Amino acid sequence: MITAQHLTKRYGGRNGRTAVTDLSFTVRPGTVTGFLGPNGAGKSTTMRMILGLDAPTSGRATVGGRAYAAHPAPLTEVGALLEARSVHPGRTARHHLRGLALTHGLPRRRVDEVLDLTGLTEVADRRVKGFSLGMGQRLGIAAALLGDPATLVLDEPVNGLDPEGVRWIRTLLKSLAAEGRTVLVSSHLMSEMALTADHLIVIGRGRLLADTTVTDFVRDSGAATVRVVTPDPGTLTGLLRAPGVDITATAGALEIRGTTAEHIGRTAAAHGVPLFELTPSTASLEDAFMTLTHDTVEYTGAQGAAA
Amino acid sequence: MTTTAPYRVTPSRVLRSEWHKLATLRSTWITLLFSAVSIVGLGLVVSAHYETGNREFVDPIELGLAGTQIATISLPVLGVLFTAGEYTTGTIRATLTAVPRRAPVLWAKAGVLTAVVLPLTLVTCVAGHALAQTFLAGTDQEASLTDPGVLAALAGSAVGITALTVFAMALGGLLRSVAGGIGAFVGGVMVAPEVVGLLPVDAVDKAVEYFPAQAVGNVSALDAVAGAPSPGLSLLALGLWALGTTAVAAALLKRRDV
Repeated sequence: MITAQHLTKRYGGRNGRTAVTDLSFTVRPGTVTGFLGPNGAGKSTTMRMILGLDAPTSGRATVGGRAYAAHPAPLTEVGALLEARSVHPGRTARHHLRGLALTHGLPRRRVDEVLDLTGLTEVADRRVKGFSLGMGQRLGIAAALLGDPATLVLDEPVNGLDPEGVRWIRTLLKSLAAEGRTVLVSSHLMSEMALTADHLIVIGRGRLLADTTVTDFVRDSGAATVRVVTPDPGTLTGLLRAPGVDITATAGALEIRGTTAEHIGRTAAAHGVPLFELTPSTASLEDAFMTLTHDTVEYTGAQGAAA
Repeated sequence: MTTTAPYRVTPSRVLRSEWHKLATLRSTWITLLFSAVSIVGLGLVVSAHYETGNREFVDPIELGLAGTQIATISLPVLGVLFTAGEYTTGTIRATLTAVPRRAPVLWAKAGVLTAVVLPLTLVTCVAGHALAQTFLAGTDQEASLTDPGVLAALAGSAVGITALTVFAMALGGLLRSVAGGIGAFVGGVMVAPEVVGLLPVDAVDKAVEYFPAQAVGNVSALDAVAGAPSPGLSLLALGLWALGTTAVAAALLKRRDV
């Protein structure tokens, strides 16, 4: 269980940048919780505060009821994967893990186990210098699993992995959650999150935007559209106009967001507007995410991201 | 999962981990070998070409251990790499998630460096001196191990280099950059005292005599320089430089974001 209470992080004094603002959430055991947000939203900063690497300006983060640093054996409580490379390139994978294991008195056998689990046994005695991005990522995951922790905090674990690796991570995370562990995973790959996560915490510009299940998130996002073809688009547009309803005219059709196909059909029937086509399409997690975060994206191109 | 096994972070485990980290890098062994060869080898070459009659400019320890001047830089560079290298490579994040109380990491590094560098320099200084003496016997630089002050000066050389190595390790931790740490060590310890010493102020001249490199000179000299601080005071100064800087680095390590 991870708890964040009013976490705030400001960098560089009074006039500095605020990375995270008054962020509160709980990550529960037994499910995979996805941590989503555009680049610069404060995901990594939040994870670093959970792990005690960055001190919050105010507020508090606990894991299993205690601040990370207060655990006598932190690696057995929380396994973390932060930036891909937290390894000396001149050291072998086995020696890197062994160095970490020694701080806790973890047995040599455990190092072999996580090397085996992450498929690194064959390259364990090679220096990390020659590792591919994917192998480096596997080594990071091996380090996270070293203490057999009840909680896992993984920042972009599928970065740099090939499709097989991505699938391996997905299965691994689900099985870890099924064993009753708490799993918090950040990613910018929405399609991957939709497959892996059950619960979502979405942040933008350091603030909490949503803390909900994947299903509810997509349903409530308003990103679902209804495509309507009618010979009288002007009249129908006038009838449907309401706060929160967004109507875009495309070639011969209307793309309508913020209302249901049922409402559109009944309205058209009540006013005698003929409809040739009425097609609802459910949103993907990516659509839902874009809808929710499009005004909280920190860096947008010249065209904007208001898609 | 949460386990009842006796896994917990203890100071002796952090020490073992830091020893493992130092021992599993090729650069460590290369630096140690290079330093040892320098200490023994350079003095041998210099001694073989010594012409008698220069005792007022150089004493037998300085001559026989000419190579310590190289080790006085190469071993502190190892010290800087031991801390600053963790920041350069990102290893520090793994280290501090394993030991979130942080300060033990720095004290363990100081302990490990001492345990490696002190015996190495002690053995090579004594061996280097003995070998150099095979050339110096019969000259005005003859000084057997049993002569008064010789063993103390040799031990002083070893302790001095060890203290400088720990001091440099702390500098690396303070500056969190390999280039910055080496620059600060060479600039601050080797060059700055020479420049500051040019100021025509007596108090400054007195203070400079307690600077790290000057203190090492005082504890390793056989012919004491007139007016220089006693070896005991110089030893105390060295200890304060090494441990004081480590304490400051440890305090900052606890406070800073990583």
